Amino acid sequence: MNDEIARDSGSAGSQHKGWRRALIAIAIVLVLFAAYLVRRFTRNEPVVYDNIVEHYKYGSLGSEGFSPPYWVFKALPVMFPEYLPGKGYQSLGFVYEEGHDLPIGFSRRRLNGLDGVGLNCAFCHTGTVRDTPTSKPRIYVGMPAHQFDIEGYFKFLFACALDQRFTPDQMIPVMESLGADFDPIDRALYRYVVINQVRLGLLQARDRLSALILNPEVPPWGLGRVDTFNPYKALQLNYPMHEIPVNELIGPADFPQIWNQAPREGLYLHWDGNNNSVDERNLGAALGTGATPTSLDYASLDRIDKWLREFPPPKYPYPIDQALADKGEVIYHAQCSSCHDFDGKYIGTVIPLEKIGTDPYRLHNYTYDLTVNQATLYAGMPWRFTHWRKSDGYACQALDGIWARAPYLHNGSVPTLRALLELPENRPAVFYRGYDVYDQENVGFVSNVPEADGRKYFRMDRTVPGNDNGGHLYGTDLSPEEKDALIEYMKTL
Amino acid sequence: MAKNGKHGRRWIALSIVLLLLVGLVGYVLWSRLLREQPLHYEAAMDQFKYGSIGTEKDGLRVPFWIWLVLPRIFPEYLPGPGGYVSLGFAWEEGHELPIGLTKKVIGQPMVGINCALCHTATVRKDKYTKPDIYPTAPAHQFDTQGYFRFLFACASDPRFNADNILGAIAPNYDMGFIDRLLYRYILIPQTRKGLLDFKKEMSWMDDRPDWGRGRIDPFNPAKFRYLGIPVDDTIGNADNMSVWNMRPKVENGYHYHWDGLLDGPLQEVVLSSALGDSVTPDTLPLDDLKRIQDFLMDAPVPPYPYTIDQQLASAGEVVFQANCADCHAIGGARTGSVIPIDEIGTDPHRMDSWTEASVAAYNSYADEYPWSFTHFQKNEGYNATLLDGIWLRGPYLHNGSVPTLTDMLEPPANRPSVFWRGYDVYDQEKVGFVSQGEDAERYGWKLDISVPGNSNSGHLYGTDLSAEDKQALVEYLKTL
Repeated sequence: MNDEIARDSGSAGSQHKGWRRALIAIAIVLVLFAAYLVRRFTRNEPVVYDNIVEHYKYGSLGSEGFSPPYWVFKALPVMFPEYLPGKGYQSLGFVYEEGHDLPIGFSRRRLNGLDGVGLNCAFCHTGTVRDTPTSKPRIYVGMPAHQFDIEGYFKFLFACALDQRFTPDQMIPVMESLGADFDPIDRALYRYVVINQVRLGLLQARDRLSALILNPEVPPWGLGRVDTFNPYKALQLNYPMHEIPVNELIGPADFPQIWNQAPREGLYLHWDGNNNSVDERNLGAALGTGATPTSLDYASLDRIDKWLREFPPPKYPYPIDQALADKGEVIYHAQCSSCHDFDGKYIGTVIPLEKIGTDPYRLHNYTYDLTVNQATLYAGMPWRFTHWRKSDGYACQALDGIWARAPYLHNGSVPTLRALLELPENRPAVFYRGYDVYDQENVGFVSNVPEADGRKYFRMDRTVPGNDNGGHLYGTDLSPEEKDALIEYMKTL
Repeated sequence: MAKNGKHGRRWIALSIVLLLLVGLVGYVLWSRLLREQPLHYEAAMDQFKYGSIGTEKDGLRVPFWIWLVLPRIFPEYLPGPGGYVSLGFAWEEGHELPIGLTKKVIGQPMVGINCALCHTATVRKDKYTKPDIYPTAPAHQFDTQGYFRFLFACASDPRFNADNILGAIAPNYDMGFIDRLLYRYILIPQTRKGLLDFKKEMSWMDDRPDWGRGRIDPFNPAKFRYLGIPVDDTIGNADNMSVWNMRPKVENGYHYHWDGLLDGPLQEVVLSSALGDSVTPDTLPLDDLKRIQDFLMDAPVPPYPYTIDQQLASAGEVVFQANCADCHAIGGARTGSVIPIDEIGTDPHRMDSWTEASVAAYNSYADEYPWSFTHFQKNEGYNATLLDGIWLRGPYLHNGSVPTLTDMLEPPANRPSVFWRGYDVYDQEKVGFVSQGEDAERYGWKLDISVPGNSNSGHLYGTDLSAEDKQALVEYLKTL
């Protein structure tokens, strides 16, 4: 070979060299392009926030694999407005701040070559309060998202996915009209892969959750409530949900507050006292955002965890009659503190169902089989779940920031503190929840407004399974003056 | 001359590199597929519940990561929602695996079975109360055949492949590039083949009545899988038994198993049971099994956890002494001995499934081993067992065809002809497990006495006592 080339001198030889150079150049370009593609598609970069409160509201937990990508998320309310209860995502009770184009509870991360959107703690644990029907809402982080329609959000996504218009041809122009600046690779990706994958993923989630949220026999969760644990059976464990008896599919519970976690270490947490590890509570909730054991951004969660341990409850924002509150404090210590104070004897312990007498559905739908299956979550990792247990009642919760945690009882069936101090038969049989205007008289949210500002509020009917407002009779036999004092004191917690 | 030297050095260098590579690959394969890590539990009870009896190498063994995701990929092959719990596994809160399943690292973490699988009961006071767990009790709620069939169905399904299985594991655990390759090309195909082979070896199960919850066919698997007995059509279905309190049985020379086919020593019972679980003679972990054997000698009998009318029970003790003690109490003339079938009159299928040929085969099975068996025998009847913990051993008779003690004291014509077994809520009224009603039907397995092997005939003792005597007797039996 060498000899032949040596013989071929002159023009023929330099032509050969020219081809070789060209080939090498092409090879280099291809390698560089491949490297570019690898980098583009393996980048995993969340949008980060130095300020911890911003991180809580908008930071990423690594749940972007479960939510539609950014441009799809933006396009859906524009393409399918009829599937929302009102105008825009706001109609679901999402909270928007000035200068942010995504609501609180949503994170952004560059993942798999796309701009992804994820959910975080703030999604279910950020509440709004308004002083009057015309005030601007005040936002409180860590507060129950009492105004939020999580079931409505899932139903919206699923309705869009079923709709025949959910196609690349229909969606790409909308995304671009909203500001998406796609290069040819993006456009090809969305056209040939992403939009169809997202649709498929939503349809699969719809299938798994249909027994819970598209089932005529299962009452709606309503604003500010979620069936805490049944979704794990459907999503993480893929139980055949339609084979579960209907009663086990019912049992929504109020979103709780998540502030002030440090003194809660060792107390039995969740409404039914099923876990006494704050870490497991947080890791379990992280799975609820759509993060998985391998996608979870542990450093990000750790930041939030550390902050929540010390983050104090918000102070009652309206005037307090301190003299009356002082009288109430005496009553509180006599009647309530043994169960509800951090130093109380029964704090964080479970009161058996027969004794507490509140609605049983939530307790019963957290089943023994789920409890033991949860011990397989995070398998292979040092933080594999080991603390879940099945209890026989509901746990005594601390009342820090209780003013902001209405409605009351685990199923949010009692609108105000004043109503809770009435006998069940005198508590409202029907009221509306999700309205964020505060009721200073009765301590809780105004609960007799079915509709306002174009938003329908959720009708709580105590005869509906899961919504019973009985039980917790403590304090119902106090005198009216005593009740006034006690309520005044509880504003200070 | 110079050229050859250069080539020679090149070859030597290449060979050395190749050898190193082969060595490295060999080491990786050995450590990730073969290296066995010891599994030891300090407490004997933990050893019983979770310790290995050597089943992680053959038969039903499944790599842990595959085991974990199978119920999530194939929920339709389980009897109902709840993952493995739907099969009646006894599962302690906070534990990664249920009782009766082991996790032993042989390269990879492998899931095997142990004694506690069929010898751990769950009992619930009512529908909403969580179960109490009783190791060494009969696993009346566990569907052994259902567990086998679940694994067989998964392995037979074309979706049992690397893409689906690794796809289900990936969000939960990052096993790394090398392990993913090993799973894709070795472990997943190997597991599939192992389960399909086992399925074939057990295909005889499909042409005879199902075992049902709480029951197995104890000896046909041994006969057909490794004793060399040609497949016959016998039906050996029998209740799982209690394994507690072995000391009085050993000291009094009682027979073991429903038909008394062994009369000792306890070691033969324990080792043959392990072999029945697919351990091979070469891999029997003799020390671990001896530890379990010692544990069972004095494993306590759980007391009846509900109320007992002590006065009524005392009256019942008199009735018991007069009518039952001869066969069922320590010191009884016939306790622990075989009652001839003509006298006892219960279903003969289980007795017939154990044959003279089986005796010969088992007694010569492991002749070259120091622990070889010599005591297997063929009897024409059923063993009169000690009634220790009888409250927890329902349903009753060897084939579990009579749901409660109250039903046992009725003549066969009055005993239920159809009921559901395996539901673990206790029936304090009739003494046994709840066997009728919507919940029993949902969670239990239907036993129909007209199906071969399920006859509830025989054991007429006590059926002609007065109603008061029967009530007192049942009350007394709660105290055993």
